[in-house]
Amino acid sequence: MMKSLLTTVFLSFIFAISAQNVEFKAANFKDDKDGLKAATDAIKKGDEYFNIANEAVFIIKSPGLNYELALNSYLKAQKFNPNNAELNFKIGVCYINSTYSAKGVSYIFKAHELDPACDNFMQFYYGKALQLDNKFSEAIKAYDAFEAEYKKADNFSKFVTQFKNECRTAQGAVQNPVRAWVDNVGELNTEFNDYAPSITTDGGEIIFTSDRPNGHTPNEAGSYDKDIYSSTLTDRKWSAPKQLTGGVNTTEDDVSNNLSYDGTKMLLHRSVDGQFDIFESTLNGANWTAPTAMPFQISSNKSNDIYAAYSADGWSIYFARDNANRENGYDIVYSSMQSKIQKNYMAAQMISTVNSKFNEGPVYIAIDGETMYICSEGNGSLGGYDIFVSKKSQGSWSKPVNLGYPINTPYDDFFFATTANGKFAYIASNRPEGKGGFDIYKVTFFGPEKAPVSATEDYLLASIANPVKDNSIEATVDVNKKSFTVFKGKTIDAMTKKAVEADIEITDNATGKIIETFTTNSATGKFIITLASGKNYGIAVKAEGYLFHSENFDIPMGSADNLVNKIIELKNIAIGSKIALRNIFFDTGKSTLRPESNSELDRLVKLMKDVPSLKIEISGHTDNTGSASLNNSLSQDRAAAVVAYLTGKGIAAGRMTAMGYGSTKPIASNDNAAGRQENRRTEFEIKGN
Amino acid sequence: MKFKHLYLLLLASISTSINAQVEELTPEEQAYRDSITALNIENAAIANSQEAYNKGITLFAEKNYSASIEQFRKSVEFDPNFTAAYYNKGVAENEVGKYADAVKTLDKLIELKPSYSKAFFQRGRSYQGLNDYLKAEKDYEKSIALDATNPKAFYNYGTLRFLQSDYDGAITYFTKTIQLDPEFVNALNDRGSSHRMKGDYPKAIADYEAAIRKNPNLAFVLNNIGTTKTKMNDYKGAMEAYNRAVSIDANFHLTYNNRGVAQMDQGRLDDAVKDFNKAIALKSDYSAAESNLSGVYFKQKEYQKALDMANKAISHDKNNAAAYVNRGMAKEMLRDLNGACEDWQKAKELGDETGSNYYAGNCAN
Repeated sequence: MMKSLLTTVFLSFIFAISAQNVEFKAANFKDDKDGLKAATDAIKKGDEYFNIANEAVFIIKSPGLNYELALNSYLKAQKFNPNNAELNFKIGVCYINSTYSAKGVSYIFKAHELDPACDNFMQFYYGKALQLDNKFSEAIKAYDAFEAEYKKADNFSKFVTQFKNECRTAQGAVQNPVRAWVDNVGELNTEFNDYAPSITTDGGEIIFTSDRPNGHTPNEAGSYDKDIYSSTLTDRKWSAPKQLTGGVNTTEDDVSNNLSYDGTKMLLHRSVDGQFDIFESTLNGANWTAPTAMPFQISSNKSNDIYAAYSADGWSIYFARDNANRENGYDIVYSSMQSKIQKNYMAAQMISTVNSKFNEGPVYIAIDGETMYICSEGNGSLGGYDIFVSKKSQGSWSKPVNLGYPINTPYDDFFFATTANGKFAYIASNRPEGKGGFDIYKVTFFGPEKAPVSATEDYLLASIANPVKDNSIEATVDVNKKSFTVFKGKTIDAMTKKAVEADIEITDNATGKIIETFTTNSATGKFIITLASGKNYGIAVKAEGYLFHSENFDIPMGSADNLVNKIIELKNIAIGSKIALRNIFFDTGKSTLRPESNSELDRLVKLMKDVPSLKIEISGHTDNTGSASLNNSLSQDRAAAVVAYLTGKGIAAGRMTAMGYGSTKPIASNDNAAGRQENRRTEFEIKGN
Repeated sequence: MKFKHLYLLLLASISTSINAQVEELTPEEQAYRDSITALNIENAAIANSQEAYNKGITLFAEKNYSASIEQFRKSVEFDPNFTAAYYNKGVAENEVGKYADAVKTLDKLIELKPSYSKAFFQRGRSYQGLNDYLKAEKDYEKSIALDATNPKAFYNYGTLRFLQSDYDGAITYFTKTIQLDPEFVNALNDRGSSHRMKGDYPKAIADYEAAIRKNPNLAFVLNNIGTTKTKMNDYKGAMEAYNRAVSIDANFHLTYNNRGVAQMDQGRLDDAVKDFNKAIALKSDYSAAESNLSGVYFKQKEYQKALDMANKAISHDKNNAAAYVNRGMAKEMLRDLNGACEDWQKAKELGDETGSNYYAGNCAN
């Protein structure tokens, strides 16, 4: 994205300008001599600063405000004549050596387009611009061209060598980016320089430094002094930054270095008498205390001491130190206390393994105490400051390793403050995609490529796919509709209605089997049994002197309270047996049968018909009152009347005889009325069978 | 009342036809008659019970289980001591998944006849359906104690041991099942799975293959062989098993999903996509396959497609932890780290170890 943007800018220059270098000569500006003079004066003034700045950079010193001051003058001249190769080159150099490096690229490209030989250092800065534009192969060619032309016997070649190495490193790094995202933290940044972020380990608070307008008086280059700001993270958004209160910020540059892991202490550096020293402030309630200078072992009056960091155990301060005797810029050193109570720091020691021939610092010690992040212009940078990591092993720090692209770029990428889990870090960079100058960026490490979770599915238990059932059920049954009927009755004499003891057999006619045999009660003739309902039965009744009796009958499938009551009348057929017919009535003194005698007479008719072989004698009897002859006559007549009745009912006369016995055959005493009543009777006697 | 009328009518007809006559009953005769009446009532109830019971059996055979349950209910209502009707009712209730009802029915049956081993087996099955494994186990144990020759009781007991992660116990009971019924392929498969859960993959494969020799058409056993061989990193063997499984059952969605995983593990991402898509085509709400497909898309760096597919997986199964992990990964790569963390946290809550690790490593400060 950035690459294409730069290309577009570059192409627009090609088409917008004539490819002709316009010298600041009167001949070229005949109509504006005053303007020409002002422009050339500005260039001349700018050159003074420009040369001073170049010399400082050459010896790895800070150019101070000189490039800015030069730039202010050059830009005035540029307005008058934007097509001068040398001026474009100088503006480009000023920018490239400032915190706004990205702005210099287009000026260098334009200068190179206008006149590639406009300056002895053109190929060097052309190479630098190409390097910043990620055109590493072309940059190396430009550096090679510069090397071929640069004949001075000084140590400037170390820069060329370094930059070529940077390009080679960058080529590999860009092709193999580390797994991290680097995002501009828009809430914190401005068009000015915003940098030196430091956070609490929970990631909830950040302090940083900015030279944004702060109400103070700008310096001669128009820039404001640097102040320290803070912001808190709420709902994953940083609050609007606020200047720290409590005397931390002054009208001089106050640069945040390191916030303690818990956010209660802070190291910063500021300029004291033209020299940088390290100070410490502590959080007192909501305010930071006025910073106090660290002991001389750390804030030496013989050196610039900047970019301090607390060690994880709180015993040491790591920082970057420069002094006039060193040619390699700032180096990382540390000073440790002998006692935390006395805070008696020992002389600072240099960590040789992490230092290079170029500037080192800032530095940051991770909370594990064994990881140090060092920012360096050397050590294998992709360009400018890069961030490196060194690991402590057996008391020694390892050779720093570049954190890689896109954390590092050909621009300045420095400062490093990370959350406890190492997932997030905050850095500062002046890469082109920012709001201007240095901006604060959030680095999100997304770690090694994550493996997706895949899931297989099984029917480990077969019963899931192929259920085992025992759904066999019990078998059907035969429905047994059993119902019983109470079968009761009695056996009686058909004529006398007296009970008769009889033997009874019950046969199940469906099977022919006799299912019950029993004898009825001798006194009552009664019986009571239970028979299964819904069947046809045969019953056979036998009693001595009686006609055999049999019949069949149904016991239907009825209700639960079935009852069958049966009276079995037996017919007496024994010869000589006499039976009194008590229900035969005559008119008094006469032989005329009275109607109420009919029932008894009819039973006799039936008996005679049921037993056709039966022969009987009908006899009449009186008591002993009255004359005997009269009694004999009357009894004879009455017996004859009965015979006549039977004959009238179809009974053969030959089967019957009528006899009148008068009072000759009493069956009771005639001495009383009851006996006489007994003796007055009609009888029949079985005479034949 | 109705019966009294009937009785009188009947008596009248008898009087007419056989010259009988009604006579007052003595107290003794009345008592006797009452006892017969009671017997007749009881007999009628038994007959009704038997008729309903037989109807229930007919309906059961027709798989009309609900109607059969109603008939068996009537049967035991007529005759509360009809144990076979209780048993059949319990079986029918199990068939339709009315496990709580089946437990009640079989409780009554066991109360009536404590030695009814099949009743304990069926009630064990009911408890299993109710996921009350403890009670189910006790019933199977009782069933086995009453009848040690029923392989199904041993088998079901084994599955319960398996479900409670007692794989050694499960192996013991499955082995007994196989001894009682060497053709019991389910027991062979399940014993294989028990070995597999113990990490003894060779023994697992041996049992699975024995099951396949008994019945070569069991796709799910071949699928188990495939997934076990995948665990053994024997992808060639796994693919052979999967291919054979789909040749037996071309609609077995599980196998396509699992073959897709094997393809993915071997880096054959395009083939994996085809298999997962086939699995999803066969089962449109197949959350596991959708989650897996999301994983393949992630590997192919198609993060938006990975996100979309994980969304589908979650819509079909809100407890699919793997889908949350995969969706979180897609979201992370689409720069929605907050969303990613929410998903990993959800996966963590669902007990997913990877989700937990991703959350701890990426979300906590």
